[in-house]
Formats: sequence, structure tokens, C-alpha cells
Amino acid sequence: MENVTNINKDVSVVAYYFRNTGERLRCFPKRIEWEGRRVDFTETGLRHPTKKGQRMVHVFDMTDGNADYRIEFDAERLTWTLISIADTSYAQNLSLATAS
Amino acid sequence: MPKTYPLQLQVNTEPPRVMHIDLNSCFATVEQQARPLLRGRPLGVTNRKTKNACVVAASIEAKALGVKVGMPFSEAKMLAPDLILVETDPPKYHYVYQKLVRIMKSYSPDVTMKSIDEGIINFVGTGNVNKRGLEQIGFEIKDRLRDEVGSWMRCNVGIAPNRFLAKTAAGLHKPDGLDIIDHTNLRSTLSGLKLTDLTGIASRNEARLNAAGIYSPLQFLDAPSDLLRKRVFKSVCGEDWCSRLRGWEVDDFESAVRTVGRQYVLDEWQPTEEVLRARLSYLCETTAMKLRYKGLAARGVILYLMYANGDHWYERKIFGQPFFSNSDVLAKASLLFNRRPREDWVRMMSISCYNLVPSNMGQVSLLEEINRETWLTEAIDEINNQYGEFTITFATSLPAKSLVKQKIPFGSTRYFELLCNSS
Repeated sequence: MENVTNINKDVSVVAYYFRNTGERLRCFPKRIEWEGRRVDFTETGLRHPTKKGQRMVHVFDMTDGNADYRIEFDAERLTWTLISIADTSYAQNLSLATAS
Repeated sequence: MPKTYPLQLQVNTEPPRVMHIDLNSCFATVEQQARPLLRGRPLGVTNRKTKNACVVAASIEAKALGVKVGMPFSEAKMLAPDLILVETDPPKYHYVYQKLVRIMKSYSPDVTMKSIDEGIINFVGTGNVNKRGLEQIGFEIKDRLRDEVGSWMRCNVGIAPNRFLAKTAAGLHKPDGLDIIDHTNLRSTLSGLKLTDLTGIASRNEARLNAAGIYSPLQFLDAPSDLLRKRVFKSVCGEDWCSRLRGWEVDDFESAVRTVGRQYVLDEWQPTEEVLRARLSYLCETTAMKLRYKGLAARGVILYLMYANGDHWYERKIFGQPFFSNSDVLAKASLLFNRRPREDWVRMMSISCYNLVPSNMGQVSLLEEINRETWLTEAIDEINNQYGEFTITFATSLPAKSLVKQKIPFGSTRYFELLCNSS
């Protein structure tokens, strides 16, 4: 089984990068901070929109090279939420740190 | 030298105008696209992350180790000890599906999606718009998929005079091939295949063909229509196969929806009456939602139960008036459910509505009672659309809500939007 740690906490996106996707200029998170931690993303996996009721939520699957991060941007409330971190020892350490 | 028959249907010599596009190991590839750290690793996608869950999609790396779709996770783990299992994420696949459809529709208005991960572009009649060759367009579609979705995305492209041969061509060089089958290379292509490599020929049809002395696709191609119709398939299917193999189109039709339903393998080994009713109530609710989503009402209900000892029981009933509301489907299913034999623990239950007719929800009835039922259903649907599915639900469904999840279907994309709304 895969190692996934659910976080589900609001985070601050302190740096963005922009990419021209052909149709329009799109914005992606580059650096996030929460509870004194900082993560710099090195690659975007996929961005896909989804709906929670009538609320549009954009899901970003990002990686920093050590772990995969799932971040959601709520287009109505304008909030960023770190949903989960997956598949590394980093996530394991984090879950231990959170538990302690 | 193949045996020739007089008055045999000739091979279609028209230039190929049908393109089949197939995303390989779609769910697994999309997961690898979304999660760069999973790329190049054996990956299985499952509907439930449990020990006995089955793999609904395997990555190319997992397939290379022998992992097959439908294999239980425990068995797959023995073949590939490093196998990573992730749960399905329908909105992700829906996004890629929409992107693929948009790309395909930019080349021809005649696009048919055969399932979540494969579709057909019919270029017949688009000669004035698409001046380039189909091979060039095929490579462009591959590039666009990589640019617009992600660099890990790959697809197979098959080009042929009909849908069947286009699908066959798309399966020749997985995972990133582009092949063309036309009258010039039909025989040489079929000579490299087995009978079961052909879509629609599995072990039973293979045995039928073997019984008539047909052991290879080339012999199948050379077999006369009469032999296939009268001796092998014993129906018009024989003639269809004759045309299909020769490049003539026989699969350009859409089948109508005949039944709408849900099934569920019980999450408890010894489910009590209360648990069974909770699951039934939830299944009825989602079945009624599917009915209304398709604008249909049903007149019949089938309830099917499978018991722990392997026995099964089912009962069906036709009702006088068509129905579409959650409470109506539940009431009618409960009627059948109460008649079930109580001989063993129920392992699986399935509910289906049949005898479908267009729903007349928009029509005001002379009977106030029917109007109230319709308006209540419309109001509940509106609230659920606004605030998310199952915001208003049966109290009896609540225990099942967190357990019975809407899962990704094989094949049809009929309820994909509905699935994504409720996931």
C-alpha cells in the first residue's frame, strides 16, 4: 500500500508561476507555507477542476521531488488547502511529527 | 494460397477515413501524470483500497510484470511486490476525457466515444477541411495530448476504413503506436495476429470458429459469408463479421439504454436485516438518480441477490404506471426484497429498472398527488445539485453513504457527469 498522509489544512501560497497553456495564461503554486513549514514545488503533475456542490474547486497535483502534494484552490472562497502528501519518507516523518 | 469462393464480398479498397484513439492504461497513466513520483513504477488503480480489491487499471510497468486488469490486489502483489495501489479519482479522469474529446472534435464533428479512454473520429466528408493525411493528424493528436494534458500522456492511434480495423490497428504497437490498416496490408497485418487478438473474439467464439476449421484471422478473412452465418455464428452476426474483416462498416450504431441499475458486494460477511435495507435504500436512490439524469422513467424492477453459498435469487415485476422518484423505486424494490428467501447470508445485491420510457416529469398531472411527488423530487434534485449529492437523502441510506461509493464504470460514459458530480 502507498503511504498517504491526510493534512486537510489551509496553506499560504507565497509564490506562483505562470504557464501559457495554449488557450490562456495559467497560474500554478510554486511555494507553500503552513505551520512553519515551507515546500518549493519542482513540477506540476495535473491541474483539474471539480465541483463541490456548485462551488468550483481546482485541484493541483504537485511535487517537490520528494513527495507528491494534493492542493485545492476554492474558487469561491479563494482559499488554498493542502489535502494530502503522498509516497515518501517525508510524509512518514511529517505524520510522526504531527502525532507528537 | 488461400481458398477463393465465388461471389465473395470484396475487401474495401477505399482510403482509410476512420481513426481510433485509445489512451493506454488510462487511469494508471493519468495517475502517473498527476503524481510524477509514480512514473516508471508499477502502479495499480482500484475502486477500494482493501486487500481483496481488484485492479481496475494497471500501468504499463505493472503489466510488464504480469499484472492484469481484474486481478485481486493480493495476487497482483505476488507478481509485483513493489506494486503501488491508488484509489480511483473520477474527476481527474473526467478532465482528461473532456480534453481528449475537445481535441478529437477539433478535427471532425463525427466523434463517438466508445468508453472513458477510447473514441473514434470519422473523417468521411471532411476532405475539404482536413487537407492533411490522417497519419499526420494522428501524430498531431499525440503531440496535443502531451501539450494540453501532460508530458506523460500517450495514446495509440489506429487508422483504417472501418471501426473494427481501426481498433485492431490501435492495438498493434502499444503504448504509443500509430498504425494504418488498409486493403494493401490487411492480409499481412492479420497474419501476425491470433483469433483472440480480434475485438469480439474471446474463447467461446474462438471455439466456434475452430469447430468450423478456422484457426487464424487469415482463415477467418477467407471464410465465406455463408459458412460464418450458417455454421459458425448461426445468425446475421456471421455476415457482419464477413463485412467487418473486409473493411466495410457495420458497427456505426448506438445501442439504446434498456436497463438502469446498481449493484453492490456487501461490505459485511454476515449483514443484518438493517444493514441490507440501508444498502438497498442507497442503491435505489442512486438508481433513481441515474433514471432522472437520463430523462427516463421505468415500469419494471428487477432485484437480484447472491448468497454466500453461491446460490442466487431474483425477481422482477412490471407496474402499471411509470416511476422515477427515489421513494417509488425504493417502495417497489422493497416489495420484491420482502419476498426473498432467507436461506443464507446475502453477499451481493443488484437493483435494475427496465421497461424504460421517456419521463413526463415536465407534464402537470390532473392528480394532485402525482404533482406533489414530482415537485418534491425536483426540489430535492435542485438542492442536491446546489450543495452536493446526498445533501438530502433517505435517513435509511445514511449508514451506507460513506461505504457505498459511486465508482468508475467500465465501458460506457453515460453516467460520467453524474458520477463526477457525486464523487
